[in-house]
Amino acid sequence: MELSVQNCLDGVGISLLSEWDVLIFVHRHGASLTSADQIARLIGYESRVVSDVLDRLEREKLIERSRPSQGVRFYRILTPTDAGRRRCLQQLVSLSESRAGRLLLTKRLKPVPSEIRARTTIG
Amino acid sequence: MSESGLVKTGIKGLDSIFLGGIPRTNVILVQGVTGSGKTLMGLEFIYRGITEYNEPGLVVVFETNPDKIIRDAAGFGWNLDELQQQKKLQIIFTSPQVFDQELRSPDSLLLETASEMGAQRIFVDGIGLLNLGLSARDSVHGGYRELLQQLIESLNRENLTAMLSLEVGITRVSIAAVEMADFLADTVIQLGRERDGRRTRRCLEVLKSRGQDYEAGEHTLQITGSRGLEIFRRVQAPLRANSKQPTSSTMRSVIGVEAVDTLIGGGIFDGSTTMVVGVSGVGKTVLGTQILREGALRQKTRGLLISLDEHPAQIVRNAQTLGLNLEEQVADGTIQILFESPQELDIDSHYARIIQLIEKHDIQRMVIDGMTSYSTAIGEVSVYRDFFHALVAYSKQRLMTTFFNYENPEFLGISSYMPDFPLSSIVDNLILMSLVEINNSLHRCISVVKARGSKHSFDTREFVIGQGGITLVPLEQNLAPELPLQSYSSLLSRAPTRFSLAKRINGAAAVQVKE
Repeated sequence: MELSVQNCLDGVGISLLSEWDVLIFVHRHGASLTSADQIARLIGYESRVVSDVLDRLEREKLIERSRPSQGVRFYRILTPTDAGRRRCLQQLVSLSESRAGRLLLTKRLKPVPSEIRARTTIG
Repeated sequence: MSESGLVKTGIKGLDSIFLGGIPRTNVILVQGVTGSGKTLMGLEFIYRGITEYNEPGLVVVFETNPDKIIRDAAGFGWNLDELQQQKKLQIIFTSPQVFDQELRSPDSLLLETASEMGAQRIFVDGIGLLNLGLSARDSVHGGYRELLQQLIESLNRENLTAMLSLEVGITRVSIAAVEMADFLADTVIQLGRERDGRRTRRCLEVLKSRGQDYEAGEHTLQITGSRGLEIFRRVQAPLRANSKQPTSSTMRSVIGVEAVDTLIGGGIFDGSTTMVVGVSGVGKTVLGTQILREGALRQKTRGLLISLDEHPAQIVRNAQTLGLNLEEQVADGTIQILFESPQELDIDSHYARIIQLIEKHDIQRMVIDGMTSYSTAIGEVSVYRDFFHALVAYSKQRLMTTFFNYENPEFLGISSYMPDFPLSSIVDNLILMSLVEINNSLHRCISVVKARGSKHSFDTREFVIGQGGITLVPLEQNLAPELPLQSYSSLLSRAPTRFSLAKRINGAAAVQVKE
């Protein structure tokens, strides 16, 4: 089971807890018209962390961002075109729906350094 | 207003409250307490717009997780995920501050999205939260008003028909905020959730709607798991005037039940209403069943039997024991039976179901068995009276012949036709069915005491219930060892006095001789 989780995380390209938290936030909110600051406030991270993560997730083609307008953008989840990666993402999302699954993910993901982390939420 | 100028909400019953729909681009405010159905109304407005009128829409939420909206909507069979994939729907999660800023921004991403997808409708859930972003001073001193004005202005500019939900009672200046929003919105719908005894009842009232007339007053709102919202026009609302509406008919139809046709003068007017009053067990239900069956078999009129007391299967079985086979008519739809439990009866929705059945099956003859159960279930005299008036008015509009069975509680003598709710003046015809004690046995008898526009008989006639239903005992036939019924007076008092046969002149009792 754990091996499978690690395989999925590697397949999707997620290694940090903050990456997972931001990704799952965007996934759950479908289309969010917001700012990195606002996301950071909602999930309990420093703004800088969320900004970096959003950049990385966009590069990894896991999310898409619209042009900026008055400091906000549309953030939407992107469905991976690769079937294997898509399946991995679906498995991870399913896993995060239970407490046991979320704890498992916490164990497998690297935490954000404490000096830049206000509070971490999983799921 | 022409049909094209109206937006149909698609919410069952709501468009008829607005007499067809709401003027396009009106800003519709839906306000109410927690759990009154505001979010559901907004979602259904968008969902029906897309699926029934091909009008794409946006949903903007501030607090609710879109995932949960999609999940909850699935419970009603609405696949919002699919609509999002088809680019006909976009659920947007944002903050009140960003939303406010977006609507004022010339390069607004939100309005750009609306334009790209050709959105014609937008639902914003929780505009009261816009107020929370303001300082207490701003909020009181016009800040909130200005914000709402900006919001409404932006929505109008984009030609979007907007529905905004406002929770009553969450903000610090809630009364002022609600009044302000009420004033600025074009259409205001108030949703309520209240206790009625130990049950919860939802209701809807249109407080205003610019540019149109609507059905005023408090209507019933129900949430149906399999469909969504349904609004039932309040029973008290009078029928809208219609020039084509027939006021009365000069057509007289044979009922097909000898007991009634003979006494009432050869039949009754189409569209007339008849109250059948009698004690329990006298044969009112049998008469009603017979009237419907005769209508279906011989007059080719479709019938509806409404009961709050007996299930359809029981009604069919009981009729069967008297040789009145209803199975065939029920199976082929010429007779409909509507049963609804009197427990927690919601009169608006019950009335709507009756009307739907009548219109769907083109009912021409209706029997309500009986009114006493309604008076118990409804409780409130004015509501009961309004329900009854509505049924009578509707029957007359359709020229439907209607019979109301009323169980008179007085076993020994009738001091009034309907002692608890005196409504007999409303009906055209009044038939009394009584039990009369002669010697040591009870006899059934029937009298017509009122038949508007008819030369009816004032005789009280004995009848029997047997195979085939009710039949009158022939006047000269003395079936029982006693004298025939016409040999007595004071029958309706249930203390009959016998006359001497020798003293009768031309069949009428002229001289009373006690024997």
